[in-house]
Amino acid sequence: MLSRVADALFWMSRYLERADHLARAVDVTFHLDLDLHGVLSNPVELEWNALLSLLRQQRPPVAEGEHPVAAVQRWLLLDASNPGSVMACVNRSRNNARSIRGSISPPMWRELNKLYWRLADPAIQGRVAESPHDFCQEAQMGVLLFHGVCEATLTHDEGWHFIQLGRHLERADKILRTLDSKFGLLEGGDGADLPIRALQWGAVLRNCAAYEAYQRLYISRVEPERVIEFLLVNADFPHSVRFCLARIMHSLTEISGRLPDRSEDEVVRTVGRLLNDLVYFDGHGLDGDRLHAFLGDALARTARIGHLLHDQYALH
Amino acid sequence: MTPDSAVLGDSEAALFGAYELGAAYDEMIGGDGTPRPHYSPLHRRLRQTSPDDFRRRKAMTDLSMRQDGVGFTVYRADEGIERVWPMDPVPRIIPAAEWRQVESGLVQRINALNLFLWDVYHEQHILRDGVVPARLILQGGSFRREFVGVDVPRKIYIHICGTDLIRAADGEYLVLEDNARTPSGVSYMLQNRQVLKRVFPALFNDYDVLPNDDYPAALLDVLQYIAPESASQPTAVLLSPGMYNSAYFEHSFLAQRMGIELVEGRDLFVDGNRVSMRTTRGRQRVDVIYRRIDDDFLDPLTFRPDSALGVPGLVNAYRAGSVALANSIGTGIADDKGVYPFVPDMIRYYLEQDPILNNVETFRPEIPAHLSHVLANLEHLVVKRVNESGGYGMLVGPASTREQREEFRRALQANPRDFIAQPTIQLSTHPTFVDGRLEGRHLDLRPFILCGERVTVTPGGLTRVALPKGSLVVNSSQGGGSKDTWVLAEGRS
Repeated sequence: MLSRVADALFWMSRYLERADHLARAVDVTFHLDLDLHGVLSNPVELEWNALLSLLRQQRPPVAEGEHPVAAVQRWLLLDASNPGSVMACVNRSRNNARSIRGSISPPMWRELNKLYWRLADPAIQGRVAESPHDFCQEAQMGVLLFHGVCEATLTHDEGWHFIQLGRHLERADKILRTLDSKFGLLEGGDGADLPIRALQWGAVLRNCAAYEAYQRLYISRVEPERVIEFLLVNADFPHSVRFCLARIMHSLTEISGRLPDRSEDEVVRTVGRLLNDLVYFDGHGLDGDRLHAFLGDALARTARIGHLLHDQYALH
Repeated sequence: MTPDSAVLGDSEAALFGAYELGAAYDEMIGGDGTPRPHYSPLHRRLRQTSPDDFRRRKAMTDLSMRQDGVGFTVYRADEGIERVWPMDPVPRIIPAAEWRQVESGLVQRINALNLFLWDVYHEQHILRDGVVPARLILQGGSFRREFVGVDVPRKIYIHICGTDLIRAADGEYLVLEDNARTPSGVSYMLQNRQVLKRVFPALFNDYDVLPNDDYPAALLDVLQYIAPESASQPTAVLLSPGMYNSAYFEHSFLAQRMGIELVEGRDLFVDGNRVSMRTTRGRQRVDVIYRRIDDDFLDPLTFRPDSALGVPGLVNAYRAGSVALANSIGTGIADDKGVYPFVPDMIRYYLEQDPILNNVETFRPEIPAHLSHVLANLEHLVVKRVNESGGYGMLVGPASTREQREEFRRALQANPRDFIAQPTIQLSTHPTFVDGRLEGRHLDLRPFILCGERVTVTPGGLTRVALPKGSLVVNSSQGGGSKDTWVLAEGRS
C-alpha cells in the first residue's frame, strides 16, 4: 500500500474519532451544566473551562451580545478557524478521504461526505445556540455509521488496519486526557456532596460513552476508583485504554505479519510495554499525585506511538 | 387529440410550454413541430409528467451528485469553490444507425491521428510531401522534438481520445476538436447513467439503451496491452495532480473502478531508469502509468523545472522502455487547433479514404485571403487562439461587443498564425429543464475512444449542455451542465 494512502487513512480515521469525542464531550458538558446550575455557584466556568483545558485550548473570543457559553460551544463545534472544532475535524477527515477516494469503498466516501453536508447545513448550525444536542448527536451517529459501513464494505487488509490504528490511538489519547483533567476531583471531593460527585464522575463516563456499560458491570453508585479502573483497564469495553491498545497491537501484528514477541519494531515494543502496564495495573491506594503521574506517562507514551508509526511506515 | 392527451393537456402545457424552435437543429422536435420518431416514447412520457414531479426528480439528481461528491473545483481569487456538476434528467437519444456512422468516423480519425504522430516523430513523410506544412508542426508549441525517433509501445500515441462533436443546422455531425492529451469527462458519462437510473427508472422502460459501463474495464485492457513485455503481471497506476485538480473526482473514480493505485508525483521515484512507488513495505515496481498530468509537468528534469507534480527522471525511463505512458508524450501536436484543419487530409493521406466525419469549415488567418475574410466577418465568426482550451481565449462573434472585436482584430493582424476562425455553428438544441419547464439549450457530444489491441468507442459519450439561454459555450467551467446520452440497440429502435 502506498505510504501516502496509509497516512491519509490513518488521519481520516483519527480526525473523525476526534470529532466524535469532542461532539460527545460538548453534549455531556451542556447537560451537566444544566444539572449543576441550581447547586453550584459557578458551574458554567468550572465545567466549560475544564473541557477547554482538556483540549488545551484557550477561551475563545466572545462576540458582542453573545453568551460566553454559547461562544465556547460555537468555537468547539462550528468555528472553522479553530482547527480542533468538530466541523474542522470532519472537514479534515473528509479531505483525507477525498485524497484517497480510490482506496476506500464508495459507500464510505458517501457517508463521510453526507455527514459533512449534514453538519454544514445552516439549519442545524443555527440551532446550536439554543442547544448543541442535535448537532452533537448528528456528528456522533455519522461517525458510527461511517465505521459500520467501513466494517462491512472494506476488505480487512492493511488499509483497514491503518484506519483502526488512527481510531484507537486517538480514542486512547482522549480517554487518558479526560481522566487526567478530572483527577483533581478525586482529591477535592470531600467538600462536594455525594450526588454532585456522582454527577461529575458520571459525566466522565458519559464523555467516554461508558455510563451504561459501567452501571451494568458494577451495579453501584459511580465510584471514582472504579471509573478509573473501568476506563483504563477493562479488557472488553471499546472505550477503555487497554482495549484500544490491544486493538492497536492486533492491527500492528496484521500489518507487519510478525507476532509481537518476534518483532523488533520499536513501535510494537512501545505498545506492548504500555499494554502490559495496563494489564497489570494496580489501582489500590492510588492517590491523586500518583494517578496524575501515571496518566501523564501513559499520554506521553501514546504520543510516542504516533511518532513511531510515522517513522516505521514513512507516513507524512 | 386523443382523450388521453386531453386529460394531460395541462401538464403538457406546463412542462413543454411553448417550446421554441430556433434556427438550430433540435434533437427531439423536428421542423414540423412533432417529435422525431426515436424520441416519441420519451416525449409521451414527459408529457405525462407534471412540472412538480419533474422538479422533484431534478432535486434528487442534484442531491445524488452532491452526496457522491461528483463535483469539480473552480478556482477564483485563490479560493477553491466546490461546484456540483449539474445534470439535466432529460436524456439525449442517438439511434443505432446514426451511431454506427459516428463510431466508424471516430475509429477512422484516431487511426489517422496515430499514424500521423508516428510519422511526424519518425520519417516525417507527410511534411516532406507537403500535405501538412512542416513549419506548423516543427515550430508548434506542442511538438516534442525530444521524442523524435523514440519508438512508443505498440506504435500507439493516443490511447484515450475524447473527440468533441457538434451538429450543424441540417443535423450533420461535425468534429469540433480532438482532445488527444488528457481528455476528461468519462466519469461524468458513467455517473450520469447511474444517477438517471436512480431518479427516473421509468424512462428506460421504453427503450433498449446500450450500457456504457464497460469503459473502465476496456481502459484497463489498453493499459495492460501497452505494458513492457518484461512485465508478466504489469502494475498500472493512475498519476493525478492530486485532490485540488478540477478533474480529481474522475481520477479517483477511474482508479477505483480499475482497481489500480491512484498516485501523485511524490509517490513515485525513478532509480536506474525504473519507476517505483513508495509503499508501506518499501518500493514497488510500476510498469504502466495512465497519466492525467500534462506533458509540461510530467518530469521537471525534461520539461518545466518548476513542476512539483511530476516525477524526476520519468521521461528517461519512458524513453528507455521500462515504463509505458498513456497517452504518450507529444500527442498535443495532433489536437493542436492549428493542425486541426489538416486532419481530413491526414485521413486521405494515410488511409486513402474519405473522411466519414467532416470538420467544421475553418479559416486560417495566416493565409492572406482568409485573413481578410475573417476581418470582414468578425461578427459572424468564432475566432480561437490555437494554444488555448477550456473555452478561454475565444471570440464568439455574434455575442461579442465592439471592443472585443477590435481587440481580436488587432491581435489577428499582429499574429495571424495564432488563430483559426470558424463560422458560428448554432450547435443542436435539446429540451432541457429550466425554471419549471423544458426549453431548448445548445449541446455537444464528447465520445470516448480507446486505442489498444483494437479501437473501441464507448456507446454514447458525454453530452454537455450550455445552460444559459442562447449560450454556445458548454464547458463546465463556464456554466455548462450535462445529460445522460443513450445509444439505442440495433434493430429495435
